[in-house]
Amino acid sequence: MSAATLIAREEWRVLARNRAGLIASALLVLLILVASFTSLERRSAIEADRERYQTSTDETFDAQPDRHPHRMVHYGQFVFRPIAPLAFFDAGVDSFTGNTIFLEGHRQNSANFAEARQSSLLLRFGQLTPAFVLQTLAPLLIIFLAFASVARENERATLKLMLSQGVSGRSVMAGKLLGHGAIALGVGLPAFAVLIAFAATGAAEWASVALMILGYAAWLLLWAALGVVVSALAGRPRDALAILIGLWMVIVILLPRALPEAASAQSQLATKIETEIALHRDLLEIGDSHDPDDPYFNDFRDQVLARYGVETVEELPVQYAGLVSIEGERLTTQIYADAADRQIASESEQNAFVHAFSIVSPLIAIRQVSMALAGSDPAAHYDFLDQAENFRYDFVQRLNRMQAELLPGIEGEDPRISAAYWQQIPRFAYDTRDPLARPQSLLWPFAVLLGWLAVLAGLAFIAARRIGKSAR
Amino acid sequence: MSASSIWSAELRLLLRSGRNLLALILLFVLSSAAVLAGIAEIENQRETIARVEAEQVRDLAAVADANAGPEGDPGYAAYYAFMLTQDPPPPLAFAAIGQRDLQPYVLRVRALGLQAQLYDSETYNPELALPGVFDWAFVLIYLLPLVVIALGHDLVTGERETGRLRLLLSLPGSGLWRRRIGLRYGAVLAALGLPLIVGGIVMAAPATGIAVMLLTAALYCAFWFGLAMLIGASLRTSATAAAAMMGCWIVLTLILPTLANAAIARSVPVAKGIDLTLAQREIVHRGWDVPKEQTFERFFVNHSEWRGKEEFEGRFHWKWYYAMHQVGDEAVAADVAEYRASLSKREDLTRKLGLILPGVGTMTVLHRIADTDILGQLAYQDSIAAYHAGLRQFYYPYLFNDRMFTRGDFAQIPRYETRSGTGSLEIASLIALIILTMLVLVAGALSLSRQASQSRAKSQK
Repeated sequence: MSAATLIAREEWRVLARNRAGLIASALLVLLILVASFTSLERRSAIEADRERYQTSTDETFDAQPDRHPHRMVHYGQFVFRPIAPLAFFDAGVDSFTGNTIFLEGHRQNSANFAEARQSSLLLRFGQLTPAFVLQTLAPLLIIFLAFASVARENERATLKLMLSQGVSGRSVMAGKLLGHGAIALGVGLPAFAVLIAFAATGAAEWASVALMILGYAAWLLLWAALGVVVSALAGRPRDALAILIGLWMVIVILLPRALPEAASAQSQLATKIETEIALHRDLLEIGDSHDPDDPYFNDFRDQVLARYGVETVEELPVQYAGLVSIEGERLTTQIYADAADRQIASESEQNAFVHAFSIVSPLIAIRQVSMALAGSDPAAHYDFLDQAENFRYDFVQRLNRMQAELLPGIEGEDPRISAAYWQQIPRFAYDTRDPLARPQSLLWPFAVLLGWLAVLAGLAFIAARRIGKSAR
Repeated sequence: MSASSIWSAELRLLLRSGRNLLALILLFVLSSAAVLAGIAEIENQRETIARVEAEQVRDLAAVADANAGPEGDPGYAAYYAFMLTQDPPPPLAFAAIGQRDLQPYVLRVRALGLQAQLYDSETYNPELALPGVFDWAFVLIYLLPLVVIALGHDLVTGERETGRLRLLLSLPGSGLWRRRIGLRYGAVLAALGLPLIVGGIVMAAPATGIAVMLLTAALYCAFWFGLAMLIGASLRTSATAAAAMMGCWIVLTLILPTLANAAIARSVPVAKGIDLTLAQREIVHRGWDVPKEQTFERFFVNHSEWRGKEEFEGRFHWKWYYAMHQVGDEAVAADVAEYRASLSKREDLTRKLGLILPGVGTMTVLHRIADTDILGQLAYQDSIAAYHAGLRQFYYPYLFNDRMFTRGDFAQIPRYETRSGTGSLEIASLIALIILTMLVLVAGALSLSRQASQSRAKSQK
């Protein structure tokens, strides 16, 4: 057996006698399990709720009586965002985004009823998910187990003894890193087991789960390495602990909160109100369909008449107002889409500012990896908004086409079409987004985590040389 | 030695330690940064409101241009005239931003169904909201205990480790610990509190509010010093004392609140919000398919003054349209009440939790006095609802008496008046905090003096 493995085994033997360490480890494991099960239960409750709501609103849509199609444009459809399978592991921004949208013609309504808006401030202390435990608490446990690893030997002069017996500084560092790296992975093991079991039931993709485990393994190893390196460089255990807790505080608690403040100070988001007012202005600039002398809609009318080869609107085989509705919807949707793109772009710019600092606070990197793979990141939310908007445009235009094509054949001052048509309108089916569809978004955070590990390996190397020198 | 020279000697002792000095400076810097960040956020919100107000004036003028006239129809005016409501940041919000980063503070409503408008979201960046705001309340609740741990964990154990404890305890008088702890306590509170006071002056915040915040901070800080005494006196080494205090901090500010939040979310569902929205839609749209008399009958239940004026010719009249929307809101009143009750219930459970968890109690007191918690948001919603009711009352005479809506009438549309603050002193939470702090302080002092007497007994043997 090599010197390094011997040192690692000795480290485990020492830690096995540390009662407080054992209790803390057991508590953390328990917390991971409690978080997993409560979070799983919460996820299935949310899933069932949203499915039930979606089904019942779809049924009420079908059950609407004979109507003018434009009435159905404003009766609209409610869509609910299905919760991603792995969102139980990391709730990400799910609690901060609305998960239901009312879709209707020529309006883009906000996604409403976000959990955070309906919870007390307690939610801001964090949400009990395995990700919270692994990201926030596990590093602290790893620090507590590792802060004394080398510094203790140094203080009690057992390090000198080892070196005089011919053990190299490199073996000491390698052994301590091995010992604490294994412990760190052991800390993550219950969470990994939950993930694997979840994937085995077919509920989640293996690729996502594998990358998630890889990401958290890198994150936990990072803290083990940091603990050992600081312990080696600081000299006294007390100093090592103080430095490590300070680092944890800055990396895990302070920067993730302070950076968003800086990011939001850099650029302001336009309010929905401003966007709506601008939209109406833009629309009026294009044209006013109610104005008989409006150049844009006169052009439009001439084009329609030419297309159908008739002279007047009355001769059209279709209802002209319906065609205007289709054109109007096309125009508003384009303007809304532009506004939504701008909004997403400015949010993404703010987020990119924060992400750039993941070099200093790798918590930001693991959080990015984790919520992206869990399908609970902003990108997944934007994807839902995008799909909902495409769906909205499609069903509103179908109803507008029904108005244009079916109404000319119907007499009376209250023209309605048969309720049977509502069943021809498609229902919202969210196409679950593959988190690995854009793997480049994961590259940077993974690179940051690996970069940290590389730098720590370099520091461990320097520490090993210093230990080696002190022997001479 | 004179009393003042003892104090100054203690002060030198405190500041000679690099760690203590660093911790105090760090706290001061963080507290200042948090106050600055809070002020920046408040300025940002004020600017946003000013920007939206300017846009609103232009928009309303455009609506008036398009719809006012000698033949102006009040129905169109009410349909197109969105009216702005705004909830400017309360004066203490800079220190405790609370939920103001994600709850809307501008919302436009028109005379249509309120329940379909009241819960709309404004834009905010969810990823920036996720970690929680960085404000003075955060520095107090999360970071101050860590500074207290840095300064206070080795008060007793440090002396034991250097072998001075016996000597110190054998000295007559019990002023030593009082001085040491009092000095550290004062230094920590000053580093934390001075930026708040300056911020309060800059933001012209009411002095009583700032005083309540300082009092809360003083209690919370005393709680952690009490814990430091209790733990320091009962453990042997500084390292274990520090570890034990960190453990307390983790349990009190990270684990228990998260567990409690999960339990509250589970036990108090808030799905009524969605239910009432769906129900309101059904009622309003069914209005198009049922006889108009039926809608008017339901409308007259609460608005009998318009009975007899419901007749009209043709297929459509705006008065029927707005009556339908009014009926839609009234039909879901029970759901609305239930929904609000569930939100209040969550808040209430959080307040009860604050009676036993000092961090949560501190959070409750700070955000209640700052009026930035969910109750503040509910009060804003109430003021919108009251305004909206007035808006409807304004339009009904035009609609039911078939009056024209002219340019002059646009100027008459009631404007939303900013609600008066509903921040209040959360007495129960404050008293609970006092009791908790006292308990810990007394327990800490008792174990310190027990230690002293044991130590004296040993040295006499």
